Amino acid sequence: MEEPPPLVTRGLTKSYRVGHIRQSFRPALVDLDLEVRRGEVLGYVGPNGSGKTTTLKLLTGLLRPDAGEVRFFGEPLESRAWRHRVGYLPEHPYLYDYLTPAEYLDYAGRLFGIPGAERREKRRELLALVGLERSADLPMRRFSKGMLQRVGVAQALVNDPELLLLDEPMSGLDPLGRRLVRNLILELRRAGKTVLFSTHILSDAETLCDRVAVLRAGRLVRVGALGEMLDESAAQMEVLVATPAAGLPQIDGATLRETLGDRARIEVGEKDLVRVIGAIDSAGGRVLSVQPLRQSLEEYFFREMGGERGGGNPWGEG
Amino acid sequence: MGGGLSRVVAVAANTFRETVRERVLYNLVFFAILMTLSGLLVGQLSIRQDEKVLKDIGLAAMDLFGTFIAVFIGVGLVSKEIERRSLYLLLAKPLSRGEFFLGKFAGLVFTLLVNLGVMTGGLYMTLVATGRGADPILLTAIYPIFLGLVIVVAFAMLFSTLTSSTLASILTVGVVVAGRFSDVVRNMRQVLPGAPAWLVDGLYAIIPDFRGLDFKSQVTYGDPVPGDVLLFVSLYAAAYVAVVLGLGLASFRSKDFQ
Repeated sequence: MEEPPPLVTRGLTKSYRVGHIRQSFRPALVDLDLEVRRGEVLGYVGPNGSGKTTTLKLLTGLLRPDAGEVRFFGEPLESRAWRHRVGYLPEHPYLYDYLTPAEYLDYAGRLFGIPGAERREKRRELLALVGLERSADLPMRRFSKGMLQRVGVAQALVNDPELLLLDEPMSGLDPLGRRLVRNLILELRRAGKTVLFSTHILSDAETLCDRVAVLRAGRLVRVGALGEMLDESAAQMEVLVATPAAGLPQIDGATLRETLGDRARIEVGEKDLVRVIGAIDSAGGRVLSVQPLRQSLEEYFFREMGGERGGGNPWGEG
Repeated sequence: MGGGLSRVVAVAANTFRETVRERVLYNLVFFAILMTLSGLLVGQLSIRQDEKVLKDIGLAAMDLFGTFIAVFIGVGLVSKEIERRSLYLLLAKPLSRGEFFLGKFAGLVFTLLVNLGVMTGGLYMTLVATGRGADPILLTAIYPIFLGLVIVVAFAMLFSTLTSSTLASILTVGVVVAGRFSDVVRNMRQVLPGAPAWLVDGLYAIIPDFRGLDFKSQVTYGDPVPGDVLLFVSLYAAAYVAVVLGLGLASFRSKDFQ
């Protein structure tokens, strides 16, 4: 029998109470149907306040859903067995000031019932993985935000989880730390692990994800493979042209994007490509390169979310 | 050890480590020892009363500093974990909210036990060093002090799940004061004849009877607390803690961590 998917949510809904005297409810997540497939890296993306953290808190039982169902590996949320198979990193994790990373990882290991010798080995391995071997015995009150984030990542891996839930894992990290976490996620994927990570940094999702779930104002607006999502907008081609001395005439169906000395970058619809190349040739120009213009995920979202590049930012701050 | 129990022990051990590493705890122990030593000086000024004064001050210091620790660390035990979100990492693991709550409680109770043990050792050392005997009946007053502290921790934890740390501290101190002056509540109708009997009786029944756990005067006069009384106060404290902790647990279980 096929094993159930690592995570399935059906109709997951949560509202927050707002106000003290005149109370009302603000929907934070509405009717979320989501399935995370085994072995994939799923990016959970959306602007700040779109419901990403609420979702992860509902999944880990920190919040109680108003309605809906969550199943981890086929087991209901109320069961505790699935927790042995899942690792979680919250956004901006706070770790105890008075503990060292080694002590903290040992504590986390004890909560999973990992025997002493195995815990010692595990913490040595994990501290090496996140590059903190030399700070293993320093109290964490001395740690920078980035170092704490690394310990947070290490504790999420202490039980060798099959599914990782990471809430903004790159948040607060310096470029080195970001690369470390990115490589770690790729390494986990190679090892057959499943990763669900939330982010509002689209380039991270673009680099790492097999699929992306797009959240806006608490509603899931799109789930799909990144390729599919972006290919829809890949019907444009970029043509780099060495322009003739007399300059390039106006060509129907071609849009001049940039002029770089005697070169021009032109955007052309795929269906007009052959005709435009012919026109360039006739005008004495020379085509240097042609490549599909694959919009970045960021451009895609700006378009889908109704924002404009350089104008209003649908992602809010950050 | 069962899975649930081993997780409670893990949380308790970490709580003990946390409280021991809190500088405030060292300060309080330091002051408790200082008070015992000052009792020694006061004792030298009194005639034939020096041993009693020493014991009085030593026991009062244990009670007072133990209460400070129970209130202020007790309130912060859970609320600090919520405010700083350190709890999020733990509750995503196979640790139930009940195990976490009980582990926190057990950890602080163990800290108080160790703390009281150190202070008891300090008092006995002072008595022996000044040529008085290490009177074992003192322990029959120290044990009820410990029971009182355990009740205070339960209240501190209950209030910390219901409200902010500041308000929880005020409420816990309020319970401690009311419990130490429970006779005032009992005799309230003498001062306020209009107060309904059910209200006075209800209040008196709800407020913990810390006076009933106070045997300091009796013991310093060399009168030990009988075994059956100790058994009764043990059962009283156990029942009280079970109810208050149960309420705290129910409140903690129903919380949303936004």
